[in-house]
Amino acid sequence: MGSVIETENLGRVYKTYSKKEGILNSLKGFYDRKYIEKVALKDATLKIEAGKIVGLVGSNGAGKTTLLKILSGLIYPTSGTATVLGYKPWDRDNEFLKQVSILLGQKNQLWWDITPRDSYSLLTKIYDLDTNVARARVNELAHLLNCTQVLDTQLRRLSLGERMKMEIIGSLLHAPKVLFLDEPTIGLDIVAQSAIRDFLERYVKEYQPAIILTSHYMDDIAQLADQLLLISKGQIVYDGTVEHFMTTSDLKKKLIYRLKNSTEEKEKLFNSQELPMVLAEMAGAGEVADIKVEEVDFEDVIRSFLAKESSTR
Amino acid sequence: MRTSFAAFWRRNLALANLGIVTNLEYRFNFIIDAFIQPILTVGIEVLLWLAIFKTAEHAQIGGFNRESYLAYAVWAPFLGRITISWMYESMMAEEVASGSINTILSRPISFFEYYLSQMIGYKLITTLFSMMVPVAVSIYFKLPIFYERLPITLLLVTYYLVLVHIMSFLVSILGFYLTRVRSFTILKNLTLMLLSGELVPIDLMPKSLEKLFLFLPFSSGVYIPLAYLSGRGDFELLKTGFFNVTWAIAVLGLFSIIFWKRGVRQYTGTGA
Repeated sequence: MGSVIETENLGRVYKTYSKKEGILNSLKGFYDRKYIEKVALKDATLKIEAGKIVGLVGSNGAGKTTLLKILSGLIYPTSGTATVLGYKPWDRDNEFLKQVSILLGQKNQLWWDITPRDSYSLLTKIYDLDTNVARARVNELAHLLNCTQVLDTQLRRLSLGERMKMEIIGSLLHAPKVLFLDEPTIGLDIVAQSAIRDFLERYVKEYQPAIILTSHYMDDIAQLADQLLLISKGQIVYDGTVEHFMTTSDLKKKLIYRLKNSTEEKEKLFNSQELPMVLAEMAGAGEVADIKVEEVDFEDVIRSFLAKESSTR
Repeated sequence: MRTSFAAFWRRNLALANLGIVTNLEYRFNFIIDAFIQPILTVGIEVLLWLAIFKTAEHAQIGGFNRESYLAYAVWAPFLGRITISWMYESMMAEEVASGSINTILSRPISFFEYYLSQMIGYKLITTLFSMMVPVAVSIYFKLPIFYERLPITLLLVTYYLVLVHIMSFLVSILGFYLTRVRSFTILKNLTLMLLSGELVPIDLMPKSLEKLFLFLPFSSGVYIPLAYLSGRGDFELLKTGFFNVTWAIAVLGLFSIIFWKRGVRQYTGTGA
């Protein structure tokens, strides 16, 4: 299957104004501003195929959202090239925009004061869709997401989980070939998270869009991602499968223990060679009341990776 | 396959409908906006001019009689309210500053079109209601208003509204560079209130200023339509109004295209 997204040495530098604290420095900023350049994305080269879900993972400020914003056409890059479905995204050609969608989990993209059904009717006209086809699609997606009962309630009166389901339907109404999902499960309870994950899994199998997904919930990535992109300090540091990432990690086990007179459980990830050292460290911490050793999971390894990346900033 | 022209109208009618539905959603706000404010404004103006003429030594001031002033005082705020854009300009500027413009940028619709259609929808519904106030006062005081001229007058006002929207668009584009642009909105709207003749009839100004103000397109917002409606001006003046708005739309439209293209290049998508 061919690539729907290709980038080469894609980069973005932001220019920001640096201001020291206090009123005097605010006044000084009127005539003497110091600007600093921040590299948000550097030399990002990647290929993404149709029908794949790509998990984009990195710590806050690593460059995930910048990459999504460039690929969806919201911002221009400062270097490199990118094509999405054969288009330069930042040209924002209408034919391109009709084939992609971006869902920002922390922003409402439907209209606050009207019902989702009214919003979909408006989107039908914006995307120039056939009214009957769009209506049928709304009903189908609402059925899959089990939220038919709230289609006629104003968006502002819905719970966060219901609202996110409505946003997902809105972003899929025009059957995009490429979908950018930025934190689609943020703030949702476990049941709602799981419902959205299951839905996305079924949707991709049936309609074969390419999805780039960012999430701070590693369960989202572990369950959904065919391809994992790890991004750190604006650079892609891993591009492969979740399984391969796990096999390349040298952290294999997790020691969980609780000291006597304490309710707090402590965790330590380690590789086989480090076992004696980890046990000695635990013994030195005090009298142990409870202990267990488990296999590490994806979230453990990612957390360790991100912590290491943050500490080297 | 639908033509793109049909799609354009379907889309923009739907957006105008959104402007109406969204504003009707907040009933009390709408009632105050469409009824209470016009009644208060007209009430104050009428009382002021009645008091002035009661104590005046002459039946005319500056060559105009009481009814002429009352007609101006009643209709100028009405036209001024149509042709000023506080709410939508603030919304547009906020979209750019907060990054919520991302939602519009990622869809096949222009930011300009999106807000123009909504604003026209909103202005249409508020105008239908608020027009009852000047019409009622005009009938009661037998003011010199040529009602048969009202449709073409409102056509000029609507055309002028496109120019106002281009200016709002330009102010909101400044948000790409400066983030906070509220002071520009205030400055622009106060200037327009003066230049359009909403505050003082242009023909009462010194001749040099009158000439300048009539040359500028902004008199087409209040003074020219009202002069035509009340018989102070003829059809030639109205045609000048249409002409002035046309060249202003062409010039400012060109600027807005240039600044928009530059603005989005350096946009950082804040808040997404």
